Amino acid sequence: MTQANSNGSTIRASTVESEPPTIAIKSLNHVYFDYQSKKTVHALKDVELEIQPSELVTVVGPSGCGKTTLLNIIAGFIKPTEGQILVNGRPVNKPGKDRGVVFQELAILPWRTVYRNIAHGLEIQKVAKEEIERRVRRLTELTGLEGFENHYPHQLSGGMKQRVAVARTWAADPEIILMDEPFAAVDAMTRQTLQEELLSLTVRTGKTVFFITHSVEEAVFLGDRVIALSARPGRVKADITVPVSRANRSWREMSKNDALQECVEDVLELVRGEATASDRSGGAVSADRTHEA
Amino acid sequence: MTTLASTAHLPVGERIKRIVLPAVPFVLLLAVWGSAKFVFDIPRGILPDVISVFRVPFTLTDQYLAHTIASVQRLLLGFAVAAVSGLLVGLGAGLSRRFAEFIGPLSTFMNAISGIAWIPLAIAWFGIGTPMVVFIIWNSAFFLVLGNTILGVRLVPRVLEQGLFTLGASRFDVIRHVIFPGAMPHIVAGLRSGLGFGWRAVIAAELVGATVGLGQWIFIAQEFRRTDIIIAGAFTIGAIGLLTDRGILAPLERRTVERWGMAGRAT
Amino acid sequence: MKPDDVAKGRSAVGSEAGTAALHAAAVPGAVTRVARAGATLRPAAPFLIALIIWWGAWALLRPPDIILVPPNKVFSALLDLVRQGLLDAFIKVSLERLARGVLVGILIGVPVGWLLGLNEDVSRAAEPILRFFNAVSGIAWLPLMILWFGFSERTISAIIVYTMAFPVIFNTMLGVSTIPNRLPNACRTLGAGSLRIIKDVYVPGSFPSVMTGFRLGIGYGWRALIAGEFVVGGGGLGFLIFNARTQGNIAEVMGGMIVLGLLWLMIDRLILSSVEQNIIGRWGLMRT
Repeated sequence: MTQANSNGSTIRASTVESEPPTIAIKSLNHVYFDYQSKKTVHALKDVELEIQPSELVTVVGPSGCGKTTLLNIIAGFIKPTEGQILVNGRPVNKPGKDRGVVFQELAILPWRTVYRNIAHGLEIQKVAKEEIERRVRRLTELTGLEGFENHYPHQLSGGMKQRVAVARTWAADPEIILMDEPFAAVDAMTRQTLQEELLSLTVRTGKTVFFITHSVEEAVFLGDRVIALSARPGRVKADITVPVSRANRSWREMSKNDALQECVEDVLELVRGEATASDRSGGAVSADRTHEA
Repeated sequence: MTTLASTAHLPVGERIKRIVLPAVPFVLLLAVWGSAKFVFDIPRGILPDVISVFRVPFTLTDQYLAHTIASVQRLLLGFAVAAVSGLLVGLGAGLSRRFAEFIGPLSTFMNAISGIAWIPLAIAWFGIGTPMVVFIIWNSAFFLVLGNTILGVRLVPRVLEQGLFTLGASRFDVIRHVIFPGAMPHIVAGLRSGLGFGWRAVIAAELVGATVGLGQWIFIAQEFRRTDIIIAGAFTIGAIGLLTDRGILAPLERRTVERWGMAGRAT
Repeated sequence: MKPDDVAKGRSAVGSEAGTAALHAAAVPGAVTRVARAGATLRPAAPFLIALIIWWGAWALLRPPDIILVPPNKVFSALLDLVRQGLLDAFIKVSLERLARGVLVGILIGVPVGWLLGLNEDVSRAAEPILRFFNAVSGIAWLPLMILWFGFSERTISAIIVYTMAFPVIFNTMLGVSTIPNRLPNACRTLGAGSLRIIKDVYVPGSFPSVMTGFRLGIGYGWRALIAGEFVVGGGGLGFLIFNARTQGNIAEVMGGMIVLGLLWLMIDRLILSSVEQNIIGRWGLMRT
């Protein structure tokens, strides 16, 4: 377990120097004016982070710590006040198909069928029809959506809808996938299934994933590394490497594995202090979410 | 810290935008109107001077006030009758499913024969003048208030009613504390559209069936080619429509619908 | 897999039982037929009662013919109009005017609504002036339109277009601006450009709201049409009832009103609400 100092400059980053990291976040600061509370909000402070190819990095932190803002900046929806994001060494300034996003709230199109939602990114990239069919079929298999191709989203359960969102993002085949609490709105049982499915999907496809959550268990269960953000202004408080390989994880395993449990305890300890700190500061708790909407 | 300072100016720019942006189209309109008149030398019988329009209330004060007051009085009278009658019948109908089912189709049909279509028959019944116009306003607004009230009452969740009954409430308590406030979003929506339709109906009714009133005034002005009076009258009609809606009913909607956090917007 | 089969079997049994029950009920067929006829006739009941009240009031008061006539006279007046070929001619004139006005109103309203919905600065600039001119009802411009275009078709078209445009603009704008940001954002991460996002997100997403605007707009336009025909004339149902009044022919006035109402219900129900319901039924309730 490697633990970072409070500046967030990780020990890992310095050890891998041969090629540029997939994502590099450099001295990032973000300040914005919130029209609802009529206050200037310092959302992120001096964030430094590097993510290597095929890594799955999860980010936890108290509500309102700027997690979603960070994701929106990487996605290119928001321009940071200071600092920059490098993807494979090139600076990011707008959304692109190299970075797919799975949103917390449902962002699939209600007027397209499951099939056409999954195919959407491929249609945009003008992929040949047969190729689209092949890839959609593969992803409906991987995500358990077979038989639902001609359904409209409103005919599906919450978990199924989120599977469509995941499948659509994977179908477009981006190098990086950003996920913003994608399973927060589904029931607990479905969530565990979706999490296990996501693990096997990422292991099979080797995508680089940046995953935001407020659940420490989820963060540890899914991540190669867990980044703990502090209360606002969000800083990288710790960068923890999860001690078990992602390939052999399951929820059954999770409850039995002492190393994983210990890791959960460690992160909980870190985040718990922050949660009470953010409560005491009394700020708009859900600010990072309202900002996006 | 420098970045903090650079974003701090944003709200000020925002404030300027809020004032300037809405004014731009009005200024543009007046500029186009004024310059078109000047460039193409449009006669006064087609388009008046900008200034002459805004002078009408001051040069023809007596007429202007008399016609405006006549129209507004009719609107308020007709609307008040429509609101009260529509609410009472609507509450009654909403409380009895049978009556609601009975009156529903009839009310839909009567609403389809809008107030304006009644003007000829109303002239035959009441002659030309205020009673005719008031009848047309009532006719335009009543069925809208009625329909929306019935809908509102029907949509109040049964659970709320039952909840109060278990507390030992009387039927009247339930109507007062549950059904009426619960139906309020729809009732207010009905009142709002009733007032809007009523005001349009006033103008149409006065156009063909009155001796005073803004509608009649601008219609007569057409015969004398007094475009300044027509436009001044039309602007006044718009201003009164906006004032009654924004000044009375929009605040009412805000106080009930929005404060109670009820989304009764979809009609 | 086993529980699945069991469930299937059970549901099949259930459905068999259901059809059996239906057959059983259908045996004393006459009874259900009467009940079904009663159910379809029920909406007609209030109209029957209204007719009886109307007829009763007439029989009781015996008002002169220029005030009120009994239903049978209205019916025969309508028959006369049909026989003379006037009724369908007037309906045709009115519907043509409405169609022309609606078409132009949509062609203006939808693009403007789009522009306002997509650009926040433009909508903030334009909304107050649009609200103001919307409050000046189209009917109030009749006198000026008469001075500009005379007692002509153009005058009627102008006020229908004017009346129609505002609800179309406002609803289109609402439809476009209430699409949650995450939908176009998600498409952007799939590599979509602005045109693509407009085509795939904003057009279908705003469609139900645009349809609501059409429906409201056609309703307002219909009223403007009637008022326009009162004043301008030149045929049409509004002209029919207004002209009949000046001749003291109340039977024709009331007949014309009934036709107006029926025609409007047909336009509203058959065309518009069916389109609306299809869309909302397929996509699910999207206006949250």
